[in-house]
Amino acid sequence: MTAEARDHALPADLRDRVIAAALRARGVGRAEPAAPEISPAEAFRRAADAFHGTLRELRDDQWRAPALRGLDVQGLVGHLTGVEEDVQRCLTGDPAVAAAGHVESTQAAADRQAGRPPDQTCAEWLRAADRTIALVRTRGDPRAEVAVHGMRLPLDLLLVIRAFELWVHENDIRAAAGLPSSAPDASTLTLMTSAAVRLLPFVAARTGLDEPTSVHLVLTGPGGGTWDIALGRAAPAPAAVAIVTDALGFCRLAANRATPASLDAHVTGDPDRAAAVLAAATALALD
Amino acid sequence: MLGTQASVLPRRGGAARRRMVLPRAGGHVTVGHVGSSDALLAARLTAGDDHALGEVFDHFAPAVLGTALRVLGDEAAAQDVVQDVFVELWSRPGRYDPAVGTLHAYLVVLARHRAVDLVRSELRRAARQERSHRLAPGEPSPSPCEEVMAAQAATAVRDALRLLPDSQRVIVELAYFGGLTCREAAKAAGVPEGTAKSRLRLALAKLETMLDRELLESP
Repeated sequence: MTAEARDHALPADLRDRVIAAALRARGVGRAEPAAPEISPAEAFRRAADAFHGTLRELRDDQWRAPALRGLDVQGLVGHLTGVEEDVQRCLTGDPAVAAAGHVESTQAAADRQAGRPPDQTCAEWLRAADRTIALVRTRGDPRAEVAVHGMRLPLDLLLVIRAFELWVHENDIRAAAGLPSSAPDASTLTLMTSAAVRLLPFVAARTGLDEPTSVHLVLTGPGGGTWDIALGRAAPAPAAVAIVTDALGFCRLAANRATPASLDAHVTGDPDRAAAVLAAATALALD
Repeated sequence: MLGTQASVLPRRGGAARRRMVLPRAGGHVTVGHVGSSDALLAARLTAGDDHALGEVFDHFAPAVLGTALRVLGDEAAAQDVVQDVFVELWSRPGRYDPAVGTLHAYLVVLARHRAVDLVRSELRRAARQERSHRLAPGEPSPSPCEEVMAAQAATAVRDALRLLPDSQRVIVELAYFGGLTCREAAKAAGVPEGTAKSRLRLALAKLETMLDRELLESP
């Protein structure tokens, strides 16, 4: 006897009853098991620790390896020192950094590393990162808005974006030095994926994705979760696409370190629309 | 760095629309029904994807219900098992390991265990109730619903009992349906207590196998 022949016809209401009971036991969207919750400040601290750990692995010759935008590893670390300095000016109320360019404003800090011993560059960045952490501790409401490098956003979100940036550049450096890539811990990654998803509607609008689109985004693995995101103009019946991909891969995409075509994704719905959504996600990166 | 260029507020009419087409074959993107792989379904359930829960239910619920019904012989009780099985899968998706077996097998085995547990629980409850009645006959009777449940569960086991050798069936009937201790059942059957215990163990093992047989024959 086949399994199908012995299967039993379902009563009409059983599906709704069972799914309602399941969703009462565990809500939609939350990964199980959930990663331990950490604060954005803690995520930044962990990313800074990981970044410092990578710098300490480097030999002197690896500091001179080309890394990004014409910068060698040492110059890229200098860029990050410059970012910390601008963030600190932002946290201490200097309005001049609100509209400063992320790359242009930090170029001087990158350039001044040339000819320095790597230890000096590393120590300068470490002091800057520690000062950012100390300043964040003295701030009151982490939800209060701050403005830096063309972004106006809550401090909590800025810290997650900064953790994201440190992880991305840490891996730029690891690639330049021939080291294997690293992944954030699940708690940090959870904050990163949530931030990327939260910002997706805004960058999608900026990249011209204005057709009404309902995205069911499932990010698998550590740091994952499920989101239903409305993109484009509001409409009663938006085009629906579902995208399932790995959380870490999605973060690489959002950092513009992977392309939609290279992403291992499973898509249902209009593939062109899904491709447009993934392309929009790459515009989250500032570099 | 990840961020927004100007503000987290949405801005419209910005850069020209970027479009690209995902590779449809031979590439990394698959277009179509995403529930084709048990490992992918498990990963989606772990990520809290309610669409995956619906797909899994639609695909496997008939088999789960059929399994529970074969053990219990009662539609309402079998539907409760279906609910237990899918709530368990959704609440603890990590307990299913795609490397160990198919999702179909995992769910059907889970359903069988839940159903057999339910039968055992009902039998224990019925036996306790009977002893309790003998000791305190004035206590309130079970509700009609409880009586029906106990009777239905007992019927499923009685059907399997008929297939046991007489020597083993007698001991089971005395111990479970007669409410006797093993020593009392041995005395009533006229065999040593050790023999009665041995026959009871063999009978219970056979009963479980018989209740599982249909399931084990399935692919």
